[in-house]
Amino acid sequence: MNVLRIQNAEKHFGDLQVLRDISLTVDHGEVVSIIGPSGSGKSTLLRCATFLETLDGGEIDYMGEAAVRTEDGKVVYAKDLNAFRRQFGLVFQNFNLFPHYTVLKNLMDAPVTVLKRPKAEVRGECMELLRKMGLEDKADAYPCQLSGGQQQRVSIVRALAMKPQILFFDEPTSALDPELTGEVLKVIKQLAEEKMTMVIVTHEMAFARAVSDRVIFMDGGVIVEQGKPEDVFGDTQQERTRQFLRNYQQ
Amino acid sequence: MKKLIALLLALTLVFALAACGETATTETTETTETTETAEARTFVMGIDAEYPPFSYIDDNGEYTGFDVEVCKAACEKLGWDFQVFGVNWDEKLIQLDAGECDCVWSGMTILDSMKESGYVISEPYYDNTQVILVKEDSDIASSADLAGKAVAVQLGTSGEALLQGDLADLAATFGETVTCDSFLKCFTELGGGAVDAVFVDMPVAVAYAAQNEGFKIIDEQLGAEQYGIAFRADDAETCAAIEGAVAELVADGTYAAIAEKYPDIVNNLLFLQ
Amino acid sequence: MDLLTMIAKMSEGLGRTCAIFFLTLLFSLPLGMIVALLRMSKSKVVSGVVRFIISVLRGTPLMLQLLAVTYGPYYLFGISISRNKLIPVVIAFAINYAAYFAEIYRGGIESIPVGQYEAAQVLGFTKAQTFLRIVLPQVVKRILPSVTNEIITLVKDTSIAFTVSYQEMFTIGKQIANSQTSFLPFVVAGVFYFAFNAIVDFVMGKAEKAMDYYK
Repeated sequence: MNVLRIQNAEKHFGDLQVLRDISLTVDHGEVVSIIGPSGSGKSTLLRCATFLETLDGGEIDYMGEAAVRTEDGKVVYAKDLNAFRRQFGLVFQNFNLFPHYTVLKNLMDAPVTVLKRPKAEVRGECMELLRKMGLEDKADAYPCQLSGGQQQRVSIVRALAMKPQILFFDEPTSALDPELTGEVLKVIKQLAEEKMTMVIVTHEMAFARAVSDRVIFMDGGVIVEQGKPEDVFGDTQQERTRQFLRNYQQ
Repeated sequence: MKKLIALLLALTLVFALAACGETATTETTETTETTETAEARTFVMGIDAEYPPFSYIDDNGEYTGFDVEVCKAACEKLGWDFQVFGVNWDEKLIQLDAGECDCVWSGMTILDSMKESGYVISEPYYDNTQVILVKEDSDIASSADLAGKAVAVQLGTSGEALLQGDLADLAATFGETVTCDSFLKCFTELGGGAVDAVFVDMPVAVAYAAQNEGFKIIDEQLGAEQYGIAFRADDAETCAAIEGAVAELVADGTYAAIAEKYPDIVNNLLFLQ
Repeated sequence: MDLLTMIAKMSEGLGRTCAIFFLTLLFSLPLGMIVALLRMSKSKVVSGVVRFIISVLRGTPLMLQLLAVTYGPYYLFGISISRNKLIPVVIAFAINYAAYFAEIYRGGIESIPVGQYEAAQVLGFTKAQTFLRIVLPQVVKRILPSVTNEIITLVKDTSIAFTVSYQEMFTIGKQIANSQTSFLPFVVAGVFYFAFNAIVDFVMGKAEKAMDYYK
């Protein structure tokens, strides 16, 4: 079954069309990387999929359930969007941790408040996740006391604590110093090995090639090319993709 | 040779005399100038601009009132420039000391404490009496009925001083003494039912009851008071000059003419009795 | 009158000064939040009206507002003036201070990065949960210094209650100053206000320190 299905997605910012008829399905356990120049619409696609932006047209399904439909040219969102939000997690470029909460409270707050799960149980799970990330000694620290890499790993754990079906990453290493990107990419790689379904918007080409089952190249609001990483990177079909990849190799 | 010496001496003497003469002339000129400066002096009258009919702002926004008109006329007699300064009534003496005005002349009750503090106080010109103003339908008929009632009085007035001093026993029977910073507020509090009576100078009460319906004055006079003009401790000279000028105004009938315009107070003016 | 008697008499009014102070804070702090939220309303009419009211409240002297609240209803509609002046005083003060607090709150709320809202939304928090759990605690920390400023001003502003003859500490001080022809009560009043604000400073300093655990 598809975890995520996006059909004919359209998005405008004023006169500017940022998404043109985008269709995309993500299967269970699949890791999809989206690459492309800035302004290509890849981040907007992610923000539309996570309901941070509203679509102007098209459909979105999670786990076969209709979250967004277009009826008679009007976009209709499902009534209980929070039920769909439980299906996915989003890791931001700027972490967006809650600065007034400790690390553990950052992790526990949504499962306890939103999912109304028992505190003790959630605490156990969160501590386990922190241990896995080697961050168990930071449970009582505040985000401002952590390095950027540590903060991003905590924000990944925060998303995982909600037990999502799919995890979105919006340029997870772009705000980090180069020497800190490794620790974050390692965590994502580890999740890929555990067959976590993920959609990753990234500029890390080598990482995308190594970790993805499928790579999507977007430009000008359309999917220009997609396929297995070895095909997209090794046997590039489209001239625009080639040009983009050339710029990256320089 | 002797003649020559005599001539020289004579010449010296002439020069010396001439020099003396010159010096004398110069001195005279200087004296004249000084006098002129004194004549062109500006006299600043300190008033409470909210105290009709003694001092208030008329419909045209000009300062007027009995005291203001008398002071203006007195200054004309003395050849002084006349200016009005609106004091903050409960800080009037501090402002006088600070030189913001040269006198406080605004239906001001002469208090012993002023004299004790050294202020030069003029001869009293007005005999004031405190009365109780109530609403027309009030059942208060005398000061004895004020027991347990709320009574308003203006801060810094003779009424307030009386209630703290000579009439403290009466004030102790009040349910509450409400101190307002202007008469308008005292009367508003009375009209709005926040107090039961206003303890106030008689002419002010008479004027207010005449202009506004629904109020009456209790026929009982409390604590006779007299009005005078306050000057700084070192300024007896100005006080004498003003008193002299006012005496002239009384003598030539100007004073009475001004007083006629203020019928509410004319009976209490001491110089016309 | 000796200094001790003077201090004792003025202290009688201190309770009323404190009543104005605490009641004003009690009502204006929450009222300011309501005003701030209305000010940020998506409806242009609501935010425009609230914006105008705030500008009137901030653009006219508190003393005039106090006179309007106390005597306005009587002059306009013949409604009796309250015998307990604490009521109009606290109403006028609370409304005036709510306007100032509203603008402080608004500044604080608008300074919270949009990413905080987005993170909360993706995690499934409702709007109310987002505001109360995520935004408000951060706003409180950011606005605390400005709020302290306003509270210090409020301590001094309590003396304005004298305008409507409320017998608070400064009114009594003025009466004593007048009857004794002495400047001393003003000195005493100054010392009272300074001591009051020293306490405010201390308490708010502690509060700011208590929020220092994060940046």
